[in-house]
Amino acid sequence: MPDNRLTQTEASLNPAVTQMVNIKIDGIELQVPKGENIIESAKRAGVDIPYFCYHPRLSKGDAANCRMCLVDVFAPRRAPDGTVSLAKMPKPQASCTLPADEGMVIVTDSEAVVRDRKGVLEFLLINHPLDCPICDRGGECPLQNNAIFYGAATSRYTEEKRHFPKAYPLAENVVFDRERCIHCARCTRFTEDISGDAQLGFLKRGADMEVGTFEHTAYKSKFSGNVIELCPVGALLSRSYRFKARPWDLHSQRSVCSKCSNGCNIKIDYRLDSLQRINGRINEAVNEEWTCDKGKFGHSYVSSEARLKTPMLKADGEWKAIDWTEALQILVGKLRDADGSVAGIGGQRCTNEDNFAFQKLFRGVLKSNDIDSRVEGYLGSVNKPLYERFGYHAMGNAIAELEDMKTIFVLGSQLVDEQPIIYLRVRKAYRFKGATVINAVSSVPEDSPKVGDFAQLELVYKPGTEAALLKGILSVLSAEKLASVNGSAKGYTLEKAVEETGVSAEAIQQAARLMATGKLAIIAGREIANHTNHLEVVQAIGDLAEATGNAQNINLPGEDVNSQGAADMGVLPDFAPGYAPIENPGKNTAQILQAAADGNLKVLWVAGAKLLEKFANRELAQAAFASDTFVVVNELTMTETAQTADLVLPAASFAEKDGTFTNCERRVQRIYKAFDISLEIKPDWLIFSEIAARLGGTPYFSARDILRDISAQVPAYEGITPKSLGDEGVRWEYPAK
Amino acid sequence: MAIRNLLFEHREIAGIEEMDVYEKLGGYEGLRRAVTLERQAVIDEIKTSGLRGRGGAGFPTWIKWNGIPKNTDKPHYLICNADEGETGTYKDRELMLKLPHLLVEGMVIAGYACLGTAGYIYIRGEYVEPAWQIRKAIDQAYKKGYLGKNILGIEGFNYDLYVHMGAGSYECGEESALMSSLMGERGNPRLKAPHAPLPVHEGVWKSPTLVNNVETYCAATWILKNGGAEYAKLGTERSKGTKIISVSGHIAKPANYEVEMGTPLLELLKAGGVTGGKLKAVIPGGSSVPIMIADKLDKINLDYESCAASGTMLGSGGFMVFNDTTDIVLLMKRTSEFYMHESCGKCTPCREGTRWLFKILDRITSGGGREGDIELLLDICSQIDGRSYCGLGDAAAWPIVGAIKAFREEFEYWIEHKCSPIGDHAVPPTPVVVNPLLTLTPA
Repeated sequence: MPDNRLTQTEASLNPAVTQMVNIKIDGIELQVPKGENIIESAKRAGVDIPYFCYHPRLSKGDAANCRMCLVDVFAPRRAPDGTVSLAKMPKPQASCTLPADEGMVIVTDSEAVVRDRKGVLEFLLINHPLDCPICDRGGECPLQNNAIFYGAATSRYTEEKRHFPKAYPLAENVVFDRERCIHCARCTRFTEDISGDAQLGFLKRGADMEVGTFEHTAYKSKFSGNVIELCPVGALLSRSYRFKARPWDLHSQRSVCSKCSNGCNIKIDYRLDSLQRINGRINEAVNEEWTCDKGKFGHSYVSSEARLKTPMLKADGEWKAIDWTEALQILVGKLRDADGSVAGIGGQRCTNEDNFAFQKLFRGVLKSNDIDSRVEGYLGSVNKPLYERFGYHAMGNAIAELEDMKTIFVLGSQLVDEQPIIYLRVRKAYRFKGATVINAVSSVPEDSPKVGDFAQLELVYKPGTEAALLKGILSVLSAEKLASVNGSAKGYTLEKAVEETGVSAEAIQQAARLMATGKLAIIAGREIANHTNHLEVVQAIGDLAEATGNAQNINLPGEDVNSQGAADMGVLPDFAPGYAPIENPGKNTAQILQAAADGNLKVLWVAGAKLLEKFANRELAQAAFASDTFVVVNELTMTETAQTADLVLPAASFAEKDGTFTNCERRVQRIYKAFDISLEIKPDWLIFSEIAARLGGTPYFSARDILRDISAQVPAYEGITPKSLGDEGVRWEYPAK
Repeated sequence: MAIRNLLFEHREIAGIEEMDVYEKLGGYEGLRRAVTLERQAVIDEIKTSGLRGRGGAGFPTWIKWNGIPKNTDKPHYLICNADEGETGTYKDRELMLKLPHLLVEGMVIAGYACLGTAGYIYIRGEYVEPAWQIRKAIDQAYKKGYLGKNILGIEGFNYDLYVHMGAGSYECGEESALMSSLMGERGNPRLKAPHAPLPVHEGVWKSPTLVNNVETYCAATWILKNGGAEYAKLGTERSKGTKIISVSGHIAKPANYEVEMGTPLLELLKAGGVTGGKLKAVIPGGSSVPIMIADKLDKINLDYESCAASGTMLGSGGFMVFNDTTDIVLLMKRTSEFYMHESCGKCTPCREGTRWLFKILDRITSGGGREGDIELLLDICSQIDGRSYCGLGDAAAWPIVGAIKAFREEFEYWIEHKCSPIGDHAVPPTPVVVNPLLTLTPA
């Protein structure tokens, strides 16, 4: 297929070029990659060029519209005899799109440039309402900043300004103040280049132009929050943060989003003990700078009224607030009486430190191996699906590696919901790196964005027939001699696959051909994780990866923030921290619940796991909770699971504790405590540690203490200290085999 | 008067828009001759002729044709810019309406020379009749085998021609905005060299693209038929051949006149002479170029160099004549209203500046002029000129700067006396029209 995508859609920040050219900026001579945007070259020289519309991650074609970054350029001219001379007169050029060329001379501090900048700012401000005192952006507004440094003190505009009603409800979480808009096209480019739903565009033209959605429908996106941060003025505003605070009154703390396993780097902005907003933080390896709406707007629970602030005991069917002394007493009593008939479930939403303390309490003090962090999907040995064959557990690729794939095969996943940041990488691979995407799902949602919007091929199969589909693809690879196929597809035919899956033969053939063309990454989602024949499907995925020579490119990312870390920390029935096998494995989640339901379990400790909400066999979970087993739950609020417990302990959210999370690509990242909601709320590790101390174990006094033990005991975490994690975290690698 | 009808040679012949009449009078001979030549020889013929782009900028045509890469496996596209939006220009309309085959033939010749895959004629939305004529001509050309597969029996010379109608935007006559519009995007300009590859390397759909004006393609037809050297005999040293000038305004016989390059400007006025008063000013190349005061006109010849030397431009040849009943300030108000309306809104100086210019001129002409307004106008113009994303900003600024330069006293008169120096011309301020249908309303 010829590449007939529209032109000028490459990202502003072009891939590295090896050829270097000599340029001069304000008299500073420097070497820069040929074709680099001058605005980036100027950064190297330490020269500040103001801008509004430029953004390195957005496409170049629609940049250069604000004209703020105009610089004077003396372009080199090559005579036919090869001599190079400079233009006599400089020309004002937009430095954000101007590619560096040998011999170019750029002046950013001439009188003309100063005048140009003043002119642009005057133009931008003539229709701007200048309602800075009541604008959320006030204090962190590029327009304000540039106006101070580069603008004129007064305006000569005496005509009537443009007027629009304030706060147009653009999206569920975004309101739009059109008067403030400076038409930089960052938001419209974001929806087209990054999120891929291309909903925002410009309506009308000239000075009447306004950002909007076509046909005035609501802007429905899963990444709408990013446009708020991208907006260089206060035109796009967060509905939840609007009028809540002044930026200079906010404290900011670095953190990691706890909404899914992608581990987006975020900033928590808060006042006193109340979380005001979440902003993205740059981590090129993970989220670049984006956040999804779940992460950006989904943290209202942290400072909500519903937070538990004391331990709660259920007595005669009524909830009663008790203090910690009493709660610990009761719990210690129950645990002593249980005499090893105790089990623990959960930890996927807790930090590594919480998990380590959790398993240490159970294995070391309570002498029970019955702990499991998994509440859904496959509950067998974690080594079985992938590790025994390929040497890794969940993701073969780093998130950033996905960009370099020729083909990406997304299987059984509503990727944008399950792994929003991986979705953005896949989209980036497609949009800016020319990757081909194949999507296979059992049902196609109506909402955009989704992988299907840009996938070259979409295979919609009957639910549960993933293995048949994979075997069908393998049989085509084998029949067309595209790859040598061993294993599961032996004797399988395309006809059989067509009949079982309901996908057309041509589609399967096309998919197979696309997959045989080079570097292929396979991303399997929830449908695979929860598949009743998980092992068989993963076996087939492995066969496909192996046949196409991509055995290290299988990705089965977990879903909860610390799914990976909980397993690393040994919150598994059969493995100690670091996947060290243990002699007499304990029960897994299903077996624990069965034991409780059968009356063979005295105490069940649930650490932040939403069993009733998520566990596939809900009846079993209900039966377990209804039994005589004493159920203790660590929770933030009274969830459905907490409601059915006997004792609920108020646990700290990610904003109230220190620790580390390990994201789906095994990147260990640090979270910092931002504030205390209440001194009665404790981080999970502290609860486990206090119980351990009361039962004769050694207590921990800080998350740092635990991390020291982790790095000593878990080989993959060796050498990890809060300092070594830095701002970007550390991705641990499996030892080379 | 130096009228040299080359393209207009058969303008008055009845039925010339039909294939049989056109062929009888030597039509498609240019193409037949072209295909006997090597492709490079066709381009050399254009080079010999000295033909320069007739859309306004006057860029040598052969350089564009020669710039199309010969050894890519990408399709090559040819675009005819028939979005004739420049105020006062109507030459392409007549060419397409009366001589559609001249354009079709020219595009096939260019398609042959530049290895074209397909050609698109982007016609402005208001040109309904010309578009029908072109469509008819294309149909006839297909039937005769001048378009389609293996044209004129030449193996592998496959070339299709399409008509694409614009939707009423002046901006889409700008080469890069035209390409955006053709690809189905918003009609906004695109990055140009040195910020992006030239269209001949990467135009529409990332493929080599040749964009020329209607008149340029028509001239190419004539050149291939009669030879480049023949064409080069006409005109001045650097401006060769003829130029069609659309004469309008206070003149007895407004029409398209095809004149030899270098013809003294005043000769054109002999076309019936100025009506309704004495000659006051002339805009020689469409509303985007600076206005010229009457007593300076004797030095101007109609060619690119002479116009540029006099501080104006030959442009697209929209020649507007104004007699002494014309109020220049009102003329500029109307001109700036046009550019305000047509600004696409992409870049700051043009979007905000054109509206501001209009508001000031509107205020002056409704009796609200203030001291300093002229300096403000000039200053705004200098903040737009050369700073905008595409040429529309420049085109909005030049006429106002030119008018203030030539007729400053009229602006001063308006500001001081709150009325027109010409007569009873005071006008109420232009009402602001908001089209609620196009504005966001809560969903």
